[in-house]
Amino acid sequence: MNKDPYAVALNNALSEIRKICPDVSRSFIFTKDGAIVAGDSETDEKTMEKMIHSFQSVAEKAAAIGSLKAFYVDGKKGKIILSSVNDMYLALAVSKDADTTYLHSITHVIIPTVLKLLETITPTPLQFTPSKQLVVDTLSGFFIGDSVQIDIELIEEWAKLLNQESLNEVEIEAFGGKATQCKVKEISDAQLKGKGMIRIPEKVCKTLEVKKGELVKVKPAST
Amino acid sequence: MSAKSKSKDNKDHIEVLQEKLQGIKGQEGIIGYLLRGSNSASIDLKDPTKIIDYAVLSATAFEVGQDMLAMLEIGELDSVIMESESTKILSMVVNNHRLSIFMEKSVDHNKLCKDLDLT
Repeated sequence: MNKDPYAVALNNALSEIRKICPDVSRSFIFTKDGAIVAGDSETDEKTMEKMIHSFQSVAEKAAAIGSLKAFYVDGKKGKIILSSVNDMYLALAVSKDADTTYLHSITHVIIPTVLKLLETITPTPLQFTPSKQLVVDTLSGFFIGDSVQIDIELIEEWAKLLNQESLNEVEIEAFGGKATQCKVKEISDAQLKGKGMIRIPEKVCKTLEVKKGELVKVKPAST
Repeated sequence: MSAKSKSKDNKDHIEVLQEKLQGIKGQEGIIGYLLRGSNSASIDLKDPTKIIDYAVLSATAFEVGQDMLAMLEIGELDSVIMESESTKILSMVVNNHRLSIFMEKSVDHNKLCKDLDLT
């Protein structure tokens, strides 16, 4: 999770919201790219990531009705609210009988105000480390080296976002929890370009305990 | 109540619901609906070219809703509401059938539920 002052301030805002609204049992904020910006201590990062992954799958299908602004799930013992706030999403888990008017003021007034305020007082724009979920393809052979391969568009996008000339390394995290850092190159096989893949040498796949076809989370390595 | 009569009650309830759905489809702001059981499905949309997109979206909403509730351990699914800039989808399980109603965002879905006796 992001530890910059902006994220710390948002974490504090979420904690305060939970104090004044005990109906809120869990809360976190994430970007459209799926990067977790802030979250409560009750919810572990893996659960947040799984929630975000699920949300992204429905957001993708929701293109048929336009951009997804909110997703509410009503369960027997509580509710889940995922709501678009500026360029991010706020996720809340609340009790079954939570005051909806009050929750509306949190999602539509308090958090947007905090975000706006932070943007005003933060001297530099935020740079959340972007991350992508990519499908693993294994690289095998004598001359493959130890670099992973991803789409050149993604390398360029991340380099631009991080204000760098190029991107040399990425961090890869498997859903099982294993992670590693590798050099990165563009995908050389033209037939595999633009398919949301990451080609990983077999040796690195063993380290990560992942197989072909599985998803991994990839982000630029922090230098 | 025997299993047979319970099943008949469910069937009757779904038939009544289908009639009510037919009744609301002409209402302002209603885009259409999808009602899916284990062996049958009825779908009625103003724009038939969107049937597949809406059916996929409805199925995904149920799946994701159930997954999220399981992740946070907050019980079984009652309903899911999805909102875009202009459209809203209400999905819920009614007598083992999955119902999704597609509507404009301005439609009061709580009132709609009352009209359909779904509350």
